[in-house]
Amino acid sequence: MLASLEWLKQYVDINISTAELCDKITRVGLEVDTVEQLGKGLEGVVTGKVMEISRHPNSDHLWVCMMDYGQGGDPVQILTGAQNVRQFDIVPVATVGAVLPPSGSNPEGMKLKKAKMRGLDSFGMLCSADELGIDSKLLLPEQRNGIFILPPDTPIGVDIKTVLGLDDTVIDIDLTSNRADCFSILGLAREISAITGCPLKMPAMEVAEAAGGKASDYVHIKIDAPELCSRFSTRVLKDIKIAPSPEWMQNRLRACGVRPISNVVDVTNYVMLELGQPMHAYDADKVAGRTLIVRRAEEGEKLITLDDKERILNSSMITIGDAEKAAGLGGVMGGLLTEVTGATKNVILEAASFHGPSIRRTSRALGLRSEASGRFERGVDTMLTHNALNRAAHLLEQMGACETFRGIVEDYPEPVKPAVITTTPEKINGCIGCVISREEIVAILQKLGFGVEEQGEELVITAPSWRRDIECDADISEEVARMHGYDYIESHQPELKITQGSQSVLDDVKDAVQDYMAAAGLNEMMTYSFIKATAFDKMLLPADDSRRSCIELLNPITDAFSVMRTTMIPSALQTASFNLRNHNDSVALFEVGRIFLPKALPLTEDAEERPMLTAVISGRREPLNWCAAKENVDFYDMKGLVEGLLAALQVQDYTLARSAASYLHPGKSCDIVLNGQVIGSFGEVHPTAQENFELDQTTYVLEMAVEPLVASAAAVPKYQYLPKYPAMSRDIAVVVPLEVSNEEIEAVIRANAGELLRTVRVFDIYTGKQVAAGCKSMAFNLTYQAADRTLTDAEVDASMKQVIAQVAEAYKAKLRA
Amino acid sequence: MEATMKEQLSALKEQALAELAAVDSLEALKNLRVKYLGKKGPMTEILRGMGKLSAEERPKIGQIVNEIKSVLENEINARTKVLEKKALSDKLANEKVDITLPGRQLKAGHLHPVTLTLREIKKIFMRMGFDVCDGPEIEDVYHNFTALNLPPDHPALDMQDSFYITENYLLRTQTSGVQARTLESMEPNTPIRMICPGTVYRCDYDATHSPMFHQVEGLVVDKNISLADLKGTLELFCKQMFGADVKVRLRPSYFPFTEPSVEVDVSCPICQGRGGCHVCKDSGWLEILGAGVVHPNVLRMSGYDPDKMTGFAFGLGVERIAMLKYGIDDLRLFFENDQRFIGQFK
Repeated sequence: MLASLEWLKQYVDINISTAELCDKITRVGLEVDTVEQLGKGLEGVVTGKVMEISRHPNSDHLWVCMMDYGQGGDPVQILTGAQNVRQFDIVPVATVGAVLPPSGSNPEGMKLKKAKMRGLDSFGMLCSADELGIDSKLLLPEQRNGIFILPPDTPIGVDIKTVLGLDDTVIDIDLTSNRADCFSILGLAREISAITGCPLKMPAMEVAEAAGGKASDYVHIKIDAPELCSRFSTRVLKDIKIAPSPEWMQNRLRACGVRPISNVVDVTNYVMLELGQPMHAYDADKVAGRTLIVRRAEEGEKLITLDDKERILNSSMITIGDAEKAAGLGGVMGGLLTEVTGATKNVILEAASFHGPSIRRTSRALGLRSEASGRFERGVDTMLTHNALNRAAHLLEQMGACETFRGIVEDYPEPVKPAVITTTPEKINGCIGCVISREEIVAILQKLGFGVEEQGEELVITAPSWRRDIECDADISEEVARMHGYDYIESHQPELKITQGSQSVLDDVKDAVQDYMAAAGLNEMMTYSFIKATAFDKMLLPADDSRRSCIELLNPITDAFSVMRTTMIPSALQTASFNLRNHNDSVALFEVGRIFLPKALPLTEDAEERPMLTAVISGRREPLNWCAAKENVDFYDMKGLVEGLLAALQVQDYTLARSAASYLHPGKSCDIVLNGQVIGSFGEVHPTAQENFELDQTTYVLEMAVEPLVASAAAVPKYQYLPKYPAMSRDIAVVVPLEVSNEEIEAVIRANAGELLRTVRVFDIYTGKQVAAGCKSMAFNLTYQAADRTLTDAEVDASMKQVIAQVAEAYKAKLRA
Repeated sequence: MEATMKEQLSALKEQALAELAAVDSLEALKNLRVKYLGKKGPMTEILRGMGKLSAEERPKIGQIVNEIKSVLENEINARTKVLEKKALSDKLANEKVDITLPGRQLKAGHLHPVTLTLREIKKIFMRMGFDVCDGPEIEDVYHNFTALNLPPDHPALDMQDSFYITENYLLRTQTSGVQARTLESMEPNTPIRMICPGTVYRCDYDATHSPMFHQVEGLVVDKNISLADLKGTLELFCKQMFGADVKVRLRPSYFPFTEPSVEVDVSCPICQGRGGCHVCKDSGWLEILGAGVVHPNVLRMSGYDPDKMTGFAFGLGVERIAMLKYGIDDLRLFFENDQRFIGQFK
């Protein structure tokens, strides 16, 4: 909310610096966002009158103006290229030496020097509103182009800042939604008065009522939907003369970000900004039956609003109807048919209290948010309607724009009762945790306009009508605390039993997984939980894959973030692709995140949120270095990562099976099976998926559920005695057909080596010239050990002989030396 | 005879010592040992002539010989040590590697700065006896809003534009929903001390807003818990998070689920309030979290009796704290996941 400091000063004396004021109001809960000094960087521009104007002899667009800006002596020659200047116009004149602020036409600002244009001297410049730093959105259309022509009664030789109200400071307050009462100059002044003790002055509201007649003879008011409108008050104005509003009013409206339009509209806006009561003006002669009825719209009822758009209404919307038709959307926007125009003779002014939530729904549904709807949404003081009508009529009378009929015509079916709260100083102090005296509590509340009645220990507190946010004793505690000052509340540590804070075992396991992956050289990523719906196609998921049943957002920011992920694979591959395209030649990333699995669609019960680990690697195994092999990661890097992680978490009874995952290379991928369940898959990304995710090199990816790892992760390892007797080691190499797996050979070795065998490790695999085509040579190291003695060569030799014989038998394998 | 032998032996000793002094290799030293102390050496030669000596002379000469042998032995051994040492140092001198070449390093991975910050926050609160709770990210409207004293159409709903899934489900806009869930799950009026770290979502996307970010919600409910307790607890947290000198300031604010509500500022850890600082824009203070005394309606809705039990709650933005801690100036970096970014944090 924007507040003009000059306007505030009209209602409360401010005897402290602006900085101090901003600090003080921030400290009571009205956070000052920015402070803008209007007219900053604008110096030496004064009002001047065009005494003579003629064409430049050597130019078809320049004009030569002879200016009187109160300098004394002869008029001064100033050239202009603008085409809207006439003789005797009063305009802003930047004299030689004047400074102009940064603006659309002078982004850097400028300092005026004497200039020569086509042979003639120019001792200054006539200014447009833009050159003075005024936002063109806040100007009338006719003021936006060319020189800013000022009203003919503007005095000359006066600093333009005074004339245009640019010697003001505007404070932007980030108003919290409970403080509807401060959404106005007067409300803010009241709060400042409570802080500083300077008394609040009320605006002038006397109405002459000179029209000679009772308003109630001219207008009839009825509320048919009291649940949507608690009060509807009107005044009737006669013989209205539509004209621009006075300069001072336009200046204030502009300072608060509102565009001046004409006197009647400007006054309704001015009163809204000043008192916080939104208002509306109807052309009384276009209101059928001179009757205004507050009702729910009929389903499908149509209304053309002030912005010339046809709106289709529904029964939740507050409509102001006349005897025949809808005349406006209460609190949101008026209707075009009853709009006040230059031809309007008589006006009905409205000030009403509409139901906030309904205004909120309507303004959202129609995409119509305004200063008025914003105020109604937060809640407007029901007691304000008379003040607002009186203030508006007063201002219009002062301008000589109308005469006012006698009286206010309204419907107010059920007077709103103020909140009454009974509490005690002990309770207030208990909530805050300090000792504030009863006297101070009472004084604070009274300063803020609360009625306080002391009944024994208890305080019976009546909230002022403008504080609709006050409902219970906690609200009273807050009022006392914020005015007492949070800095004066001594901090205190809660006196609680000693307890041990802990997290779940699942959280411990997630931490352990993160630590393992980081130690293994992978960087942790953090990706969005929503993905693009087409990601499932990129993953080549079959049409009936359950992961395609995903939860969709109703209002995604972009279609790239439109569905909740049912798999982490797209997040991993996109991040890998992003990195490979952004100056990273290798990728090693992981994340422990959630996938979201609906039990039914559309969602009728809580979805399953399953924690998953994903990892993706691509590119060099080790950073480029003189002493490192220049090799890229392969399937076995990813497999090793999985095996290492599972070992670290003490998961033992798992198996790896060939995977049929659509997004993985069918020959280079595994499913991880634990207790009969596939808990994850890993392997080389399928070439088509790789292309779909714009990965320009072979990439390996893993996805695995985290919860199945919890059971074993918490197990405490049991110590096993170290062997006392030495182990014996033997190597064999066998040549077998390529398709024979390591697992098969190892099984044969283990089955035949006897009980003294401890380990079997494959340490070399060779294909090439030395072995026949279609075959490979595999070398194994076997170790033997007994718990109770040193083994003899003979024992081990006998075992080896058996192993060799059986391996040879099983695979027609040749043994190599 | 005896005199001649003595002279010969003495000359031999001198000669041997002179040669020894000139020896500069282990090889030459070995030859020298053989030459003077070996079986075919001059000493043996002289000793062979001992047969011609009288019985009195023999032991004397024998003693001299032994003395000379012992002297030579010691000298040669000493010399050997010197030369061995020199040989080793010569050898080492020839084995220089280029110590400016980079070493073989383990490829180190890095945790995400949000994880690092989150872990630190969790650690601080767990030491204070807070339990870590978890809740769903797809939340129902009741727990995300209604149970937090935010009825439908409350104007405060504008503060947090939500991603909706159905009329009843949305992506949680705040971890505060876990407050309500925790309160509900407890026997009424049981004391609570918990934090809930988690991912939250809002419809906002620019340099200072991400549609997904992280919060840590905290809740303490017990007898006689006040705003002053909140201030004390958060001071303790801030001192551990930002350093012992940090100051904490409360400012009135508004959240529907707390009353009184406060914004908590910490003294700028970058400039210590000295000014000239782009982080705190010279105010000397940085807003880091919102908090307040739990609204009686929130307690009541979850079966607690606000006349018996009171509490405070707070919610802090993890990215905000990470940005302060590491000096990160663009929120989007957190979710781009450029390895060159993640690799900077330890």
